[in-house]
Amino acid sequence: MTKKNVPQVAGLLLIAFFMAFPFVYTAYDYPYIMHLLITGFFYAILASSWSMLAGYAGQFSFGHMGFTGIGAYTAALFSHYFYLSPEATNICTEFAIGSQYLIIVNPIGITSSTLAQDCLRQALDIWDGSVQITPMPVWLGIALGTFMGGVFGLLVGFLVLPLRAAYLALFTLGFVEILRATISAEIAITRGQAGIELPYLFDSGITIFGTYYDKTAKLPPYFVMFFLLLTCLGLLYWLAKSKFGLFVRALREDQDAAAALGVNTTKYKVMVFVITSMMAAAAGAVFAHYVRIITPNNLMILQMSLVVAMAVIGGVENIFAAAIGAILIEFTLEMLRNSFEIGPIEVDMTTWRLVVFGVILMLTLRFSRNGIISPIIEYFTRGHVAKETVAKRVAGSETKDAAND
Amino acid sequence: MINLKVTDLHKSFGGQKVLKGVTFEINGPELIGLIGPNGAGKTTLTNILDGAIKPNNGTVYLDGTRIDQLQPYQVARQGLGRTFQVTRSFRRMTVMENLMVPALAIDRGQSRAEINDKARDVLEFLTIDHLTNEYAQSLSGGQQKLLELARLLMLDPSVIILDEPFAGVHPKLMDIIFAYIRRVNESGTAIILISHQMDSIFALCNRLLVLDYGDLIADGPPETVKNDPAVIKAYLGSDDDDDEDSEATS
Repeated sequence: MTKKNVPQVAGLLLIAFFMAFPFVYTAYDYPYIMHLLITGFFYAILASSWSMLAGYAGQFSFGHMGFTGIGAYTAALFSHYFYLSPEATNICTEFAIGSQYLIIVNPIGITSSTLAQDCLRQALDIWDGSVQITPMPVWLGIALGTFMGGVFGLLVGFLVLPLRAAYLALFTLGFVEILRATISAEIAITRGQAGIELPYLFDSGITIFGTYYDKTAKLPPYFVMFFLLLTCLGLLYWLAKSKFGLFVRALREDQDAAAALGVNTTKYKVMVFVITSMMAAAAGAVFAHYVRIITPNNLMILQMSLVVAMAVIGGVENIFAAAIGAILIEFTLEMLRNSFEIGPIEVDMTTWRLVVFGVILMLTLRFSRNGIISPIIEYFTRGHVAKETVAKRVAGSETKDAAND
Repeated sequence: MINLKVTDLHKSFGGQKVLKGVTFEINGPELIGLIGPNGAGKTTLTNILDGAIKPNNGTVYLDGTRIDQLQPYQVARQGLGRTFQVTRSFRRMTVMENLMVPALAIDRGQSRAEINDKARDVLEFLTIDHLTNEYAQSLSGGQQKLLELARLLMLDPSVIILDEPFAGVHPKLMDIIFAYIRRVNESGTAIILISHQMDSIFALCNRLLVLDYGDLIADGPPETVKNDPAVIKAYLGSDDDDDEDSEATS
């Protein structure tokens, strides 16, 4: 194994560790640790995709949590408003699709969060158990949420084309606030600040390798989120290594110079928004189905700041560093919840942990602007460059000296 | 055969007319100096040729294709490359990555290995091959200038605009840039050289275009242009101006 291969080997070991962890860890706090890991994977997707957007492409957007919200709310609204029935209700809005009817129920209203208040309930009462309605598949809602994330990513990507740096950041901040305000205002549809509930990821449970896991089990969502993270990281890595990655980095460095060298900057700027928005939306939809509720507060700037901080502490110009940073920060923040005593003084870490987190962020920005994880990866992957360069310089000067002699 | 045809270019910013009907044509691999006092319209003309800004009036054709309404990346793919007054390398990318950007963007169907070989040849010629894997930000100012020139060659352009390539460079580096310009020109590429260093312009160019307040006041061989009264007036001011100046001073 060469020094250059160390990050790859470490990555494979990390994957093996996370694959094995749910089966070998048996402590009393298993559900809690599993929850932390699922949440960590969720933030890792957000931080790594944001690292592609901001770190690679230089598009410093504050809209990432907005796309997460779009994915989550699309999945939530889809599961609440759409059903399949073999019979027509003749009360609801409905469309025939083959032998089934696609039923769209009335707005939820303020007081209820289930379908019990709507036209479908009346139909079910009339049918008196003779007709079984089917909720829409969860995966379809997630796919739709991902798609909607892409649509909004495309829209925002085009709108921010002429904007750079602080103007882009402010625009995306405005976009998220408008989105949050709209969701909060449309109480009859979204239940506003009360949030909207979603079904479990596996509402009927699931059997994996002969073992049945009920809908509340942590293991299935753990692997769903973990594989989503691996898929996103794989795609981001492939993009980063392809000419897409090269062009978006050129875009970050100097948009005009990149265009003058033949790079279609408009295309790549929009593409990077669409791809990263879809990842954020997919993560948002899956996570919403896992925690089973989405509220407008999930779109708040505080949440976005957390994602930014995770990416910055890991290393914003490296997708893997950002992802690892997110998981580490998620754990660190939780570990810091443990209060302790120094003599007669009790330190309540539930409030102080965010201060500690802020200090870590400030120290990183001040002393290691490329994050904490990224320089380690760089040490292994680019450590040879300086040596080679020096060797070539020495060889070059020796040749010139020989020629002069 | 290279043909760049600029016809009646007009450009105004607000009420200020920056270009007033500029017309010229380049046929073949000429080496042309574009000169003029500050504010003459050289950069605006360059930006229009490059597609960064659109003219109010007039046309630009490159090898029979109208390019004045194209985007900069499309102009580059048509075969017109440029450098900038202030060096604009991709600082947090390696030297090789800097060269890969134009090579992959124009996509001439070359394999990665062919592009790599070409990039190494270019870097060797410009004496920065030992910096292939270095980040551009770690290069000196002069090396970054060479890097910018190297990127242009990867574009396989038929016309190159070099904006102040000698500004702030060491005399040794100047020799390399001189050699670069001559070699690129001899390989069949037309070059438009913008510089305030008249010695270099006269040493290299076989034709000069002189802009003054948006007007093309001279177009011809350096010896003719040097003695053109309009050019002398634009650069040195007229006798009347001198009189006014001396009156103002006294």
